[in-house]
Amino acid sequence: MKRIDSIIRPQNLDSVKEHLTAIGVEALTITEVRGFGRQKGHSEFYRGAEYAVDFVPKLMLTILAADNRVDEIVKAIAAGARTGKMGDGKIFVTPLDEVVRIRTGEVGDSAI
Amino acid sequence: MTMSAARRRLYCLLLAVGLYGLLAPATRADEPKPDPAGIATGDKTTVVDAAGNSFAVPAPTDKNSPDYPKNKKDFDDYQSQAAKEPLAVKLADSVGHIRIATNFAWTLNTGYLVLFMQAGFALLTCGLVRKKNAGHLMMLNFAAYVFAFLAYYAVGYAFQFGAVAVNAAPGNLGGIPTLNQYLIGSGQWGFLGGKGFFLAGPAYDAGSNCLTLFEVVFMETAGYIIVGAICERITFWAFLLCELFIGAILYPVFGCWVWGGGWLSQIGSTLNLGHGYVDFAGSTVVHAVGGFCAMALAVILGPRLGKYGKDGKPRAFPAHNLVYVVTGTFILLFGWMGFNPGSTLGATDLRISVVAVNTNLAAVAGSAAALLLWYFMFGKPDVTMACNGMLAGLVAITAPCAFVSPTSAVVIGVLAGILVCLGVLFNERVTKIDDPCGAISVHGFCGWLGAVCVGIFADGTYGSGWNGVGATSYLGHPGQGVTGLIHGDSRQFLCQLGGATLCALWAFGATYIVFSVVNKIKPMRVSPEVEREGLDVPEFGMQAYPEDAVVTVE
Repeated sequence: MKRIDSIIRPQNLDSVKEHLTAIGVEALTITEVRGFGRQKGHSEFYRGAEYAVDFVPKLMLTILAADNRVDEIVKAIAAGARTGKMGDGKIFVTPLDEVVRIRTGEVGDSAI
Repeated sequence: MTMSAARRRLYCLLLAVGLYGLLAPATRADEPKPDPAGIATGDKTTVVDAAGNSFAVPAPTDKNSPDYPKNKKDFDDYQSQAAKEPLAVKLADSVGHIRIATNFAWTLNTGYLVLFMQAGFALLTCGLVRKKNAGHLMMLNFAAYVFAFLAYYAVGYAFQFGAVAVNAAPGNLGGIPTLNQYLIGSGQWGFLGGKGFFLAGPAYDAGSNCLTLFEVVFMETAGYIIVGAICERITFWAFLLCELFIGAILYPVFGCWVWGGGWLSQIGSTLNLGHGYVDFAGSTVVHAVGGFCAMALAVILGPRLGKYGKDGKPRAFPAHNLVYVVTGTFILLFGWMGFNPGSTLGATDLRISVVAVNTNLAAVAGSAAALLLWYFMFGKPDVTMACNGMLAGLVAITAPCAFVSPTSAVVIGVLAGILVCLGVLFNERVTKIDDPCGAISVHGFCGWLGAVCVGIFADGTYGSGWNGVGATSYLGHPGQGVTGLIHGDSRQFLCQLGGATLCALWAFGATYIVFSVVNKIKPMRVSPEVEREGLDVPEFGMQAYPEDAVVTVE
């Protein structure tokens, strides 16, 4: 089992959701985050004092996947989130030790 | 240990003198009686026509005056005519009462508009600061109204208006003849009023209460101005002391000098300086007092943590809610429709329409000037500076609004809009006095400018007889009112320059002296830990925007 975390632009959420629904992924969690990479922020003036807007708002999607589905999910997310400009984001895949469905107590792949 | 006979006699003597001093003025036969029920205010003596000519002719008292024969003849004619038309005289009593009633309604309702400005300023300042201090800002604005009011009720009103009948009796409200004694000073050199403490005795009067309501909300305006400069780092207890100080002493003293019939209003006749110091609705009496008091407190407190980097460059703390900032500014603009036109103390003074238009023109001119200037300087129009520009225009027009033409109002607004921008940058970058909401620039600097503008732009079309000067003619013209430099009165300009500067020195100096001492006894600033966390929880135990509480459902 794997955990797939993706940092995407907030405005691409709908597009990513469409791509994921098309391949049958029905569960995901969203966190509002801020960050910067190569996109960098910019500077503004507020009442005469310059300040840096470093951290850009992004969304982090968290999806759990069985090992055999990871590739197609990653492709779907990337297809939905890509604009070609800097700041499109990143996808990280990390191994998952255990998953438990709270309502039924199921574990493993059937809990995803 | 029993008292010696000599000491007992001394105490008895002191008691007798004290009682006499307290009771005698109220029991003197010639002292005017207060009218708490409002059933004796307004009669044929308060009937005037549009030009201010009185219906009832008073008996001439000055037998040595050159006009005495004419005045005596007018009085005799009136008496004989009145004897022939008794019903007309009775009707005149009703007319006089209705005139006063109209003016009461006007004054009270415009006062309520000014009261509403409290909400506007609370929103404006809250929106301009960081989210973690929103509750603190709201509480400061709220407590300012509460505690300054109580201080003004106790002593402030008496200090400011206790002697108003001597030189500045408000005819539109019936004159308030009972408030006729100074605590310090006398005649045309009054410094502090001395009647009406706790709004009792001579102040327990319908006319006096009408004035009280109107004037207390003006004092409140000066009281909340300081919030804009001292917020995000002042302790609540220190703030309450500031409000009590403003309501009891700082505001009433200068207010007495200018509006209570005090010495500054009389230097037109005592020192031949134009019409004396003129401030129609309070550019200096209200706004500059608040702005320069704020400046002194901001200097004592020091800048917010992190405001200035090690290199001395200012850092931005962006407003957390621009929605509040703009809404608050609009509410202040609306309330100013009470602030300026209301200062005639009467709807029977039809200059109120000119005042209302001038006020709005200066507001929009100030905002446009600030917005455009900022756009040229920084490439984008700053929402908060557009709002500050509007307020700057309003503050600057507050003194001259009744005395200038609409085009002059536009010019004054533009000057204020430019000044506020330069002032904000000046404090931010040069003096390094941290002023989160721009209160010092908007109210202090532009308040001073407003009073000086009276001395430049006043065109003489209004204010004939102001402060007792030139009632029949001024500068050679009958009916000429308050006049500025452009229209030929340089003495008025000098008077305004001096008076406005004196206001700044008084407000800054008195505040700085008193609160430097307070600060030495117990520091008025919160600890750095509290300042970093935000003052909402440490000072008041609650947040303005609490995170969703986790609630267990039983």
